[in-house]
Amino acid sequence: MHIQAEGTAIKPVRLFRINTGSCNGCDVELAVTSAVTEFDVEQLNCRYTESAHEADIVLVTGPLTVRAREEVLRLYAETPREKVTVAVGVCPVSGGVFRGSYAVDGPLERYLPVDVNIPGCPPRPQALLAGIREALEIRHARHEGGEPKRAPGDRKQSDTDNFPARGRLSFDAGACVDCRMCRHVCAAGAIRFEEGENGVRLTLWHNSCVFCGLCSYYCPTGALSVTGDWRLDHPAAHTFRQVERGEVPYAPCAGCGEPIIPAAPQLLHDAFRRPNPDIERLKSLCPACRQQMSIGVPRR
Amino acid sequence: MTTKIIELGPHQLALEEPMYFRVQLDGDRVADLDVLPGQVHRGMEHLVMRRNFYQNITLLERLCSLCSNSHPSTFCAAVEEVAGIAIPERAEYLRAVADEIKRIASHLFCCAVQANVIGETALFRRVMEVREIMQRAKEAIYGNRMDLAANVIGGVRYDLSAEGAAFLARQMEAMKQPLDELYLQYGNNPALLVRMAGVGVLPREAALEYAVVGPVARGCGIDYDVRKKSPYCAYDRLEFEVAVQEAGDVRARNLVRLAEARQSVSLIEQCLKGLPRGPVCADTLPEIPAGEAIAKSEAPRGELMYYLRTDGSDMPVRLKWRVPSYMNWDALKVMLKGEPVANIPLIVNSIDPCIACTDR
Amino acid sequence: MSDCIKLTNDDPGKNPLSLRERVAAGRVRALPRSEELVTADALTPALSRGERVPEGEVRDGILTGFITKVAAAMTCAAGEETVIEWRRDRKGVLTGWCWLPCGESLLPAARAVAELKGRLAMVTAYLPERGKEKGEREIAYHFDLDGATLTLTVILPLQWARVPSLTPIFRNCDWQERELMELYDVQVVGHPDPRRLFLDHSLPHAPFERLVPYSTFTNAATGKALWDKVLAGEREDA
Ligand code: SF4
Ligand code: SF4
Repeated sequence: MHIQAEGTAIKPVRLFRINTGSCNGCDVELAVTSAVTEFDVEQLNCRYTESAHEADIVLVTGPLTVRAREEVLRLYAETPREKVTVAVGVCPVSGGVFRGSYAVDGPLERYLPVDVNIPGCPPRPQALLAGIREALEIRHARHEGGEPKRAPGDRKQSDTDNFPARGRLSFDAGACVDCRMCRHVCAAGAIRFEEGENGVRLTLWHNSCVFCGLCSYYCPTGALSVTGDWRLDHPAAHTFRQVERGEVPYAPCAGCGEPIIPAAPQLLHDAFRRPNPDIERLKSLCPACRQQMSIGVPRR
Repeated sequence: MTTKIIELGPHQLALEEPMYFRVQLDGDRVADLDVLPGQVHRGMEHLVMRRNFYQNITLLERLCSLCSNSHPSTFCAAVEEVAGIAIPERAEYLRAVADEIKRIASHLFCCAVQANVIGETALFRRVMEVREIMQRAKEAIYGNRMDLAANVIGGVRYDLSAEGAAFLARQMEAMKQPLDELYLQYGNNPALLVRMAGVGVLPREAALEYAVVGPVARGCGIDYDVRKKSPYCAYDRLEFEVAVQEAGDVRARNLVRLAEARQSVSLIEQCLKGLPRGPVCADTLPEIPAGEAIAKSEAPRGELMYYLRTDGSDMPVRLKWRVPSYMNWDALKVMLKGEPVANIPLIVNSIDPCIACTDR
Repeated sequence: MSDCIKLTNDDPGKNPLSLRERVAAGRVRALPRSEELVTADALTPALSRGERVPEGEVRDGILTGFITKVAAAMTCAAGEETVIEWRRDRKGVLTGWCWLPCGESLLPAARAVAELKGRLAMVTAYLPERGKEKGEREIAYHFDLDGATLTLTVILPLQWARVPSLTPIFRNCDWQERELMELYDVQVVGHPDPRRLFLDHSLPHAPFERLVPYSTFTNAATGKALWDKVLAGEREDA
């Protein structure tokens, strides 16, 4: 027992970083986890290495640019076979705000298998540590030949702390008036509206969201809000399930019977202390006009 | 003497970001240099033409995390100029606060990295710990440690309550002593002097010829700061001196940065003291007419310039920007010439190069 | 001086309207909305209305002198046809907008800016609105004149556009021009090092010429593929 304990103490887990063309936000925060005591990866018995051959865990940042691909794949090929790969920030997972550029070749998953995602833009150091811990569990489980200890997909509680970091967005369908301003302002294409049989459905994908909060800022009714929940690390198998969604049900229009999205007046008044003429107007408009009212200028 | 050519990558250059150099050596001294950018080219100037003005606020903030606030604030200034919007006075002050907070954190990161490059690990950790005061302040006020999400067209989207202002004032108080101490260290500590003084010199004439900007220019005795030369935001009402050093070496550039960081503390304090009452944002969503405008600002690395052209629709016809780092790479040829290979990483880091900004 | 002479021979057959008329008619570009629009002929009254001019009239005098000097230098270098306008924003920051009569006037105008101790700050190539119809494109060269920004704009044909390299005059124009060459279909004549700069060699030339249709040459399909998976996953859960 004694020897074993000493053994793990001497041989730390090696972290190796690959930057595939990031804005450097994730990289600067990773630097913090090697420089600032409170966030030092040493507390997880990890250490950064400059050699790909030594990598136990590979941390990948950035949206994978066309220009960087060759070098990224070369480095990755040098890492040992049994490493665990972590996508840091939303860039490698979905391209984040850079998705759709001629110069971006991601998502990373097209080229190499990812084990853990750490959403964030950039994730705070606490989230990085949580994600690395998750990677360690996977690594441990693989060595033992079993499953990771934590049942996959269970909702982790964020540590309570004093800082209200901008975390996961939350959607209250009851307050939504379907003006779609949120989708209009979202740089990351993280919000989708789908018209269904019974209502309009909003889906917000946390692996595309960059947590800027602009949707919430421009939302006229407060249907979208920024929460402090920053613990979003998850196994890559759950990449596409990291969503916030809600359905705004149709009701027949009092006038013509056409199914419309009603605007619950009580809720609107709850959200705004004083009745707001803009909100009152939104209520009486059909969705096309609401879009026009919020967005204003014609789209090109 | 033997000439040979070596390729250096991010690892050898001790950079956080991927950048490659082809260096020509005469013996063990640098003779010439070819900078090979593009690894972080994300086609952003193309993307901004496919996104509307609102989306571009968030997109541009992801250009580079170290000067992330300068981009949306300068972009918004260009949009406001085209639309003929005057932002509320309180917003002018709050934009300056956000910019100065980022400046302190950015300058400290640069100084920390250089300490690490020369093996002064304790100093590296010390500077990073001091920087953490700013990181915490950013997270507490804006909700993120890098990307503040402070700007919108027409003003800002955060406000400082009396409590928030008092908190920020306390953080500023906590920065003073460490910043003064670091200035003395980077100025006089013998271990740093040996590595940084007289190293990577850029003479003033060369600085003018290569048209460098920011702390690199001010470290060569060029008295140019956009906040003074072309005032914007609240800077026409704030008191400060342009930090200038004459020597043009690594040490001089760092002293400019540390002096500026200390000055930023004072600028923030002035803002907190003089913060006018009133709204933080023009309250109607603006229509952006056809037109064009130029907006400039002093980002942490120097002069940042935006050109915006619009046609009355909700997307730019063209949005072009030039980051400060773009202007400083070429001058490395002068700074590195005749220097031993071992000095390359330090000198490269001493211009605080931003690759994400350069490549876009 | 010989430059001044060469420059006046603007091809009158090609552009029946004078440049000033074209600018005024909005055919070249939309006129900028501004705090103060100042033309070189009527400087003093417009400028003295400025807000927040710290040194009052003295500063106005200097400004007027400065504007006159720059305007004279540009007209001398690029010819009488040159149009120059000044705007001053709320803080008193000056921007000058100068339209050159033809591509040939770029070099002498740039030399004149260098003589005024101007610093090249940025080069912006773009396809102006309705550029396709008119068969025109523009390149704007932005210079810093100690805090004021002077923009020289040349109008070029959409096809086979060529400009002289300014790198021999402004060393820092090097990257700006390399970038311009790879992003747009513009030839920069006399550039010392016309290699690609940022674009990977696997990418097609001049992506900025191809704003529409976009999807034919980019991986814009990525977004759709990802969203299909997100929405499919959701249906599974529901
Ligand atoms: S996820 Fe955000 S912070 Fe991280 S590299 Fe991408 S844009 Fe930058
Ligand atoms: S916070 Fe809202 S606007 Fe910002 S990226 Fe996320 S979904 Fe889009």
